[in-house]
Formats: sequence, C-alpha cells, structure tokens
Amino acid sequence: MTIILETRDLSYSYGDGTKALEGVSISLEEGKKVALVGPNGAGKSTLMLMFNGILRPSRGDVLFRGQPLRYDAASLRSIRRAVGMVFQNSDDQLFAPTVYQDVAFGPSNLGYPAEKVKRYVGFALQYVGLSGYERRPPHHLSGGEKKRVAIAGILAMEPEVMILDEPTSNLDPASSEEIMEMLDELNLGGKTLIISTHDVDLAYRWADEVILMKEGGVVRRGTGQEVFGDVELIRDARLKLPIVVDLYCELVGRGIAGGSKPPKNVLELCDLLQSRGEGRAFVGAFGKIYICNVDEADWKHIRGLIEKNPAVFKGAMGTSAKVMAEKCGISIDFTYGVIDKCILKALIGKNSLIMTSGGMVDHALQRIKDYGQESGARIEVIRHSFFCDNTEILK
Amino acid sequence: MHSLLDDYAHGNALRETNARLKLIFGLGAILLCVSSPTPIAPLFVAITMSLATLMLAKIPGRVYFRLLLVPLSFALLSAAVVAFMHGSGQTLFSVQLFGFDLGIREEGANLASLLIARTFGGMCSLFFIALTTPMIEIFATLQSLRIPQSVIELSMMIYRYIFVFLDQAAMIHSAQVMRLGDAGTKNSLTSFAMLSSVLFLRSWEQGERLIVAMDSRCYDGKLDLMEQTDGAKPRAILAVAIYLAAATAIAVLTRGVQLL
Repeated sequence: MTIILETRDLSYSYGDGTKALEGVSISLEEGKKVALVGPNGAGKSTLMLMFNGILRPSRGDVLFRGQPLRYDAASLRSIRRAVGMVFQNSDDQLFAPTVYQDVAFGPSNLGYPAEKVKRYVGFALQYVGLSGYERRPPHHLSGGEKKRVAIAGILAMEPEVMILDEPTSNLDPASSEEIMEMLDELNLGGKTLIISTHDVDLAYRWADEVILMKEGGVVRRGTGQEVFGDVELIRDARLKLPIVVDLYCELVGRGIAGGSKPPKNVLELCDLLQSRGEGRAFVGAFGKIYICNVDEADWKHIRGLIEKNPAVFKGAMGTSAKVMAEKCGISIDFTYGVIDKCILKALIGKNSLIMTSGGMVDHALQRIKDYGQESGARIEVIRHSFFCDNTEILK
Repeated sequence: MHSLLDDYAHGNALRETNARLKLIFGLGAILLCVSSPTPIAPLFVAITMSLATLMLAKIPGRVYFRLLLVPLSFALLSAAVVAFMHGSGQTLFSVQLFGFDLGIREEGANLASLLIARTFGGMCSLFFIALTTPMIEIFATLQSLRIPQSVIELSMMIYRYIFVFLDQAAMIHSAQVMRLGDAGTKNSLTSFAMLSSVLFLRSWEQGERLIVAMDSRCYDGKLDLMEQTDGAKPRAILAVAIYLAAATAIAVLTRGVQLL
C-alpha cells in the first residue's frame, strides 16, 4: 500500500503560545477510510487544516506522496486540489449565491475552460444526487442538501484525498447515514477519506483506521476494534464505547460471549451469540439476496419482482439507486448498511433486494461471498441483468 | 421561519422570464412615474403593475398588500404634511387648531396627490422587480452592463451572507427575548446594542472563515456567474414595449389635466 499523507513530528502553536499539536507523526495509506476521534480541543481540526496547507506547522513536516509540503502559491494550489476539505459548517463553505456557482468555484479557479467547468459541475451534482438544483440559492437548501453541495464543490476538483470535519454534525440521522454512505461510495471509487467525529459508533463501524487524539497528540492508532477495545483508554479520552462494544463487554462479563476481540457490527455480534448456542438458531432455508444494477435495469422488471414477492426487503445502495427508486415510487427499507441488513434478513429466511450501481455491485457480491466463507452460511445471491434477460446464479 | 421577498423571487410564475426584460419593464415604469407631471400615469402604472404581480407572477395577494402597506403609510404621512404646508390657491378645507388656521389649498392638494401616486406607482414597480427577479439574475445583468467584476463579486457574497447573518440575528434575538431581554425600553436598548456588537464580531469571524474556505478551493480571483438564461420571447418584448408606450402616452396626454 502506498502512503498518501504523512506527518513527521508535526507541532503547532497558536499566536498566544497555546500548543494545539505536539509531535504528531502519522502516515495514512491510500484508499483508506480514516476517522480522527478525540475530545474537544484534541487538535483534530488543527491537524486537518495542516493536511491541505491552510495552517503551516511551527515544527515538522506534512508529506503528500512522499514530498514535503511547500508553502508557495503554486505548491499550495496543487496540494489544495489534491486534498479537498469539507468544513463542519456548510454555511462557511457555501459562499456563492447559487448551487451552480458554488460547485463551479473550484474548477473555474483551476482555470478550466467554461465547457469543462460545466461538465464537472454537472457530474458532481449528479453524483451527490442534486441534479436540477443548479439555480437554487444555498439558503433554500436543507442541512443535508447543503452538505451535499459542499461535497460536490470539492468533488468537482477531483481530489485524491477528501477531508471532512464532522461531516454528520447537525444532520438528522437519515441525512447523516446518507452522507456516510456516499462517502463509502467515493471510497470504493478510490478516494482516501479522512473524517473527524465525536460519534464513536460511526467511527467504529465506518473507519478502516481510527486515530485517537488527545491534548494535541496521537494516543492510539489502529482498527476500530483495536482502539475501542481498550476501555480505559477510551474513558481517559472522554469518549464512550460504541454500543456494539459496550454490549459485547457486558456479555463477556456474564459469560455469554467470548472471543478475542469485539465484533465489528450487529451482524458479527449476532453470529457471535449464535455460535455460542445462545438463542434459538434459525432452522430452515436461508433467504435469497437479489442484486440488481440500476444503471442497466428495467424498472418494470424490478417492480414486477417486488410485486411477485411482496415480502422482499428492499435496500438501495448509493445515490443513483436512491434517486431512481424514489423516481419510480419504490419504498426502500434500508438506505444504509444495506449489505449487512440484507445478510441479517437472509439468515432468518427472508428475501431481500439490493438496488445499486457501478462498482458497488461487485462490492456487494464480494462482501456476501466473504461472509459466506467466514461463517459457513450459504446464502444464495441472484444477480439480475435485465438487459440480457437472463439471471446468473452465484453461490 | 421567516418568508422573505427572496423566496418569492425564486418561486413565482415569472421566474423563467428574461431578467433584463423584467428590469426594463420595472425600471421603465419607475422612470415614467417620477417624470409624469400628473398623478394619472403613476396611478395607471400602480394598478397595472399590481395586476402583473398578482395575476402574472401569481404572488399571493395578502403578502403583496402587506408589503405595500409599509411604503404607503410613509407616503400618506408625508403627503399629509405637504398638503397642509404647501401652496396657494383656493382653500379646500380648513380647521382651527389652538387658534391657528390649518388648511389645505389647491396647490398643496395637487402636490400631495401627485406624491402619493408617484410613490405608489414606483413602489409597485419596484416590488414587481423584487418579487419576480432573483438577485443572481440582477447580478448577471449588471455584469453584462460592464459593472466592474469586483463590485459584482462583493455584492454576491454580501447577498449570500445576508441570509446567514439574518438567521444568526434572529437566533440571538430569541436568546435575548427568552431571558426577558426585551422587558422595558432600557433592556431592549441594551439587548439591541449587544446584538449589534455580537453580530459585528461574528461577521468578522465569518469573513476569516470565508477566506479559508476560498483558499482551500484554490481561489484565483474567479467567481463565475451562471450562464445567461434564454433570451426574451418576442411576444414578451412586444408586450413590454406596448405597455411602456401606452403608459408614456397616458402621461403625455394627461399632462394638462388637473384633478382639482
């Protein structure tokens, strides 16, 4: 794996001498999802502002692809293009009077010709599911929509790394799940993502790597299970345990569950309990999971499938699937954590349908296959390709 | 929350009509109102503009009349002053007040009615523009009139942040009212002073964050406007031309007419 961003002995003090960061040395791999967690004032935002050269370290270096950041105008331009930053408060970021102008801001300042700017804006808005919002002013948007526009504004500059400061703060649960799912989609497309958050459940299940910061330094780095498995450490950092970990610890205490590390999510927790023989195991055939690619699907067929099988649970993964489902009047049961939810349903004998697009089809197939190999549960996955009007059956 | 003129500008039935045409229509009518020597042409403008706003742009009547009430009350007050203070000619009406003779004379009455009609016509035209044309299209028009780019960019950002600060001011105000900051004149004044100073500091901070936001997106002196909308339809151009010609004709033909 290539290291994309790296800091070496990074320190930063504010004008009055307050130390915000002290000797931070971390390296981030390309294509990972990284979550910075820590109490207020731990230095998360300061660190983020260093990644794209907004703040200049008092000591130490920031390296992008192995090259130390330089702070002349040309270098700053190139780093800010490669490392995009989405602010916590969307109103800070959306300064143009219309959505179009705001998204076009980055590309036109990069000097793209008008036609290219227009194309990029169109693409970015479509990606975040806001095509048709071009002429709206930001103050006519909801919080979730503003966040999407802010993300589109960064996407239009084609960054390699996207940094999001508290992407889900001030959003309702559904909007924040949709934003996080969009980030997953971007990550599957190859972008490296760094978020800061106070939401421990979110950091735990979403991030490949969790960086725990406290008082301007990095206390612990590792997978969510490694970092949040350390109960003392989490308490010292004024955080709390993710609910799954908390539940797991109590179950271990009662001797109901065992194992070397906490489960990553609800699915793993359920499996863990079942493997210990607790609860009545489901006897009977597993449910099937249908997967269809909305880019090539005929909606009449999907509706037909749903009508034939009214008990099917419907999940939509990714913005375009959600937009399409809404357009076609299909009510969705799962809008986030879709694959896990569908596996959970399959395990209790219910059928489900995953609507998704592009690279996420293969991702879903892979995820279900991996789960089958790990757990030994043989869940039938049926991939619909309506165009060719045949149905591949994969085991 | 609050519904603003801006909301109607974005959601009225004339939203898609060419902005330049709407501006010519509105500004032309205003010019006519202020240059007409008699109240007839301004009254004609007021009535037709109101009809256009209500029937063509489909602005709810209640909203529109409440909007008009504000300038109208000003106009009536100043017209009353003018009517009593001005002029010569036959006395039309007089009262005895503390031994003074207060009266309205012919010239004063004519001037007052002209004043009301002009204000009324001008306001109706201005509201027509404000309620049908979003600011952003006015910016685009300004740009095509070769107003310096920096002026337009500044106005655009000011326009954008008016709404951010409006929300903040409303929130600060609620926070003050919640703790009885509006009890009594003295408290209200102190609260208002606090609100203003906090808002000033916040706008300063917002400015600094704005610079960071622009810098992190490679600001290089460009804030593009959206491309122009479609040109005006020939029928619409013709209608506006006929309307302005008719209004001018009325102004010219009635120039000698005295109401009283």
